[in-house]
Amino acid sequence: MPFLGELFVSEILKKPVLDPKGDELGRVKDIAVVRGEPLPKVSSLIIERKKELFNLPWTELNIFNKRIISANVYGEALQPYELNDKDLLLVRDILDKQIVDVNGAKVVRVNDVKLEGYDTEAVLIAVDVGMRGILRRLGVERGGEDMMRLFKKHLPYNLISWNYIQPFEPKLTTISLTVPRQMLSELHPADIADIISQVSHKEGATFFNDLDVDVAAEALSELKPETQVDIISEMDTDKAADIIEEMPPDEAADILSDLPVDKAKEILESIEKEEAEDIQELLSHEEDTAGGVMTNEFIAYPPETTVRGAIEKFRKYAAEVETVYYIYIVDASEKLLGVISLRELLLAPPDTKISDIMETKLKTVTPETDEVEVAEIISKYNLLAIPVVDTEGFMLGIVTIDDVLDRILPPAAKRKRRKM
Amino acid sequence: MTRWKRLLILLSIIGPGIITANVDNDAGGIATYSIAGAHFGYSLLWSLIPITIALIVVQEMSARMGAVTGKGLAALIRENYGAKITFWLMAALFITNLGNTAAEFAGWAASNELFGINKYISVPIGAIVVWLLVVKGTYRIVEKIFLIICLVYFVYIPAALLAKPDWSVVAIQAIKPSFHFNATYIALFIGVVGTTIAPWMQFYLQSAVVEKGIRKEEYWASRIDVIVGCFMTDIVAFFIIVACGATLFPAGIKIDSAKEAAIALAPFAGKYASILFAIGLANASLFSASILPLATAYYICEGMGWEAGVDKTFNEAPQFMWLYTILIATGSLIILIPNAPLIAIMWISQVINGIMLPFVLIFMLSLINKKELMEDYTNSKTFNRIAWSTTTIMIVLTMMFVVSMFI
Repeated sequence: MPFLGELFVSEILKKPVLDPKGDELGRVKDIAVVRGEPLPKVSSLIIERKKELFNLPWTELNIFNKRIISANVYGEALQPYELNDKDLLLVRDILDKQIVDVNGAKVVRVNDVKLEGYDTEAVLIAVDVGMRGILRRLGVERGGEDMMRLFKKHLPYNLISWNYIQPFEPKLTTISLTVPRQMLSELHPADIADIISQVSHKEGATFFNDLDVDVAAEALSELKPETQVDIISEMDTDKAADIIEEMPPDEAADILSDLPVDKAKEILESIEKEEAEDIQELLSHEEDTAGGVMTNEFIAYPPETTVRGAIEKFRKYAAEVETVYYIYIVDASEKLLGVISLRELLLAPPDTKISDIMETKLKTVTPETDEVEVAEIISKYNLLAIPVVDTEGFMLGIVTIDDVLDRILPPAAKRKRRKM
Repeated sequence: MTRWKRLLILLSIIGPGIITANVDNDAGGIATYSIAGAHFGYSLLWSLIPITIALIVVQEMSARMGAVTGKGLAALIRENYGAKITFWLMAALFITNLGNTAAEFAGWAASNELFGINKYISVPIGAIVVWLLVVKGTYRIVEKIFLIICLVYFVYIPAALLAKPDWSVVAIQAIKPSFHFNATYIALFIGVVGTTIAPWMQFYLQSAVVEKGIRKEEYWASRIDVIVGCFMTDIVAFFIIVACGATLFPAGIKIDSAKEAAIALAPFAGKYASILFAIGLANASLFSASILPLATAYYICEGMGWEAGVDKTFNEAPQFMWLYTILIATGSLIILIPNAPLIAIMWISQVINGIMLPFVLIFMLSLINKKELMEDYTNSKTFNRIAWSTTTIMIVLTMMFVVSMFI
């Protein structure tokens, strides 16, 4: 057990490693870590001597602290080391890279990595993302402290425990714990969208792959169209299809229409048939018309349904529908007859037929109606959704208030991060 | 892909390259070209062809790295070369760009004085316009405004026509290399090169490509954008040199700034040429002043890992907001101080600019040849040869430029 206490990786980089006689074996170049419980642990030091790399296993170390690093072995016994993609190296793979601070729901850059003694091991306990880390890298942490003392302020530590970190590198995700994975899914979709918009599309796709399908679907709809396309194109078709399937058909159609034709076709083929038909139907409309923004997921019952029957059906099937505040009444051929609100339904006597209480003079639009006009009608009549019918009165879908709001005022995360 | 589809993609991607290349023709650039024309007539024109090629080579690499890696240059340097190098690089860029920003506001003040507007009125208004445009505008609108501004640069074409140059002489001089071995000529030659290829442009262009979400599949369109932009820059430079070369040079009038050029043009090419020159300078100065501080604050935060974004508050993104504010406030206030050491400030920023360029170019070349970053998009052997010779020539020239500033 060579290690007690704690140290930062930058404090031992380029430090000499001594053999039992006190001669220099080489200098610390990198540190390999492996999965460990409860935290990833150091497996060996990569040391450099005369431009050649050697692997010095953790078990061969005698003393390991920020002043002295010494080993039990002599130079002849050292195993040469070749850089490879399988090993996880702290300096090469973590230092200076971007990671997600799951607790703070933001992207940060790793300025330094903190190791701590745990039994006989050195474990990766935290990453430094603050000013102190940068100053330490520049070799002026002390100076920084003194400066701040002049202003009677303390230079804060800004460490994030490894438990709260989600790396982007695919191989790093294998050593991060399962905890952040659950925490990731608890992030607000808008926060996830914000995180994605700050990293490259490859990293964004890796990050997305770790999300639960339903969280991913929600987060995806918060992103701006170009980013949606980037993410979906980088993903494998099956995963992409799972996510698209989870989204409301109108949003799914929006994304598919922005994808290259081949990719969109591939995804559509992997989606459940019924869902795929809904999406395909929506794809045939112009983007800025009622047909383009509508969804074909809505609640509709035949006129002879009783209030009790309607409520029962609602309980059973409405969970999967996005907008449930209006119940439409359609005949067997799907011709729109009327509408009742959810409130009216719940307040009505249970044995009444819904056709007796429905509102028949309802506002409708056609698929060709311009989206701005749709917005005006929705706003004028204070609606939550408006049905879209064809010229013969057959119901095609509904446009919901949030869909038109999105068109007029794009949601915050969709607004482009302005960077020039 | 059908021809129409290709055209649509091209139109949606065009922007970053053209804007970057045009910001390059800033107050300092216009002054250098005017002085070059006035002092040496058309004899520096030929250098524009090699300069255009060098500019395309360098800018193309930036755009390619942005499209393939999806990361800005500052981020790539940080991830591959560590915190120390990044810190000093960013510190140096901050200082040069503070100087450059001051130079842009100086150009803005000078052009307004030509229209009789006092600098104590024009500079605060300019600073506020810059701030509003960036903080209140959305990227799409701002980019459109910028692209329109790029067209204003063409005012130098009618200005040159009004100067009635002898086009056959111009044509010959444009392709026939000539060289004068005298100190001023060499200094101006290096100045023209130095003002055309500046370190901050590579950071800005790459970030703009990333920000636009351009992917490697659409990269071909980005390349056209870059090439068109580089040609626009040097066409503007060409006409500035021609305008001054046709009028001021034969009359033997020596000038020291773009403002003097505008004034001196009036008796030869008429009032309108002079006004066009003043408009060009005002446009270029304000345009560059609106991009430089923002770009600088962005890539410093990108490299250091600080939160950035103009829609953030001082609490959310303190480093970004302070950098941005300090750049605009200091850059504009320096101009308003009576007897400010303006020349010294620009001199220092030009020197650091020159010292930085070799480092940035070498970083770029080493990054773009990394297979693990660029996959199949690394430089080809031939391209590497062209790029390395361009870089070497640039390094030699900028070193000469820096040394000449001390002599």
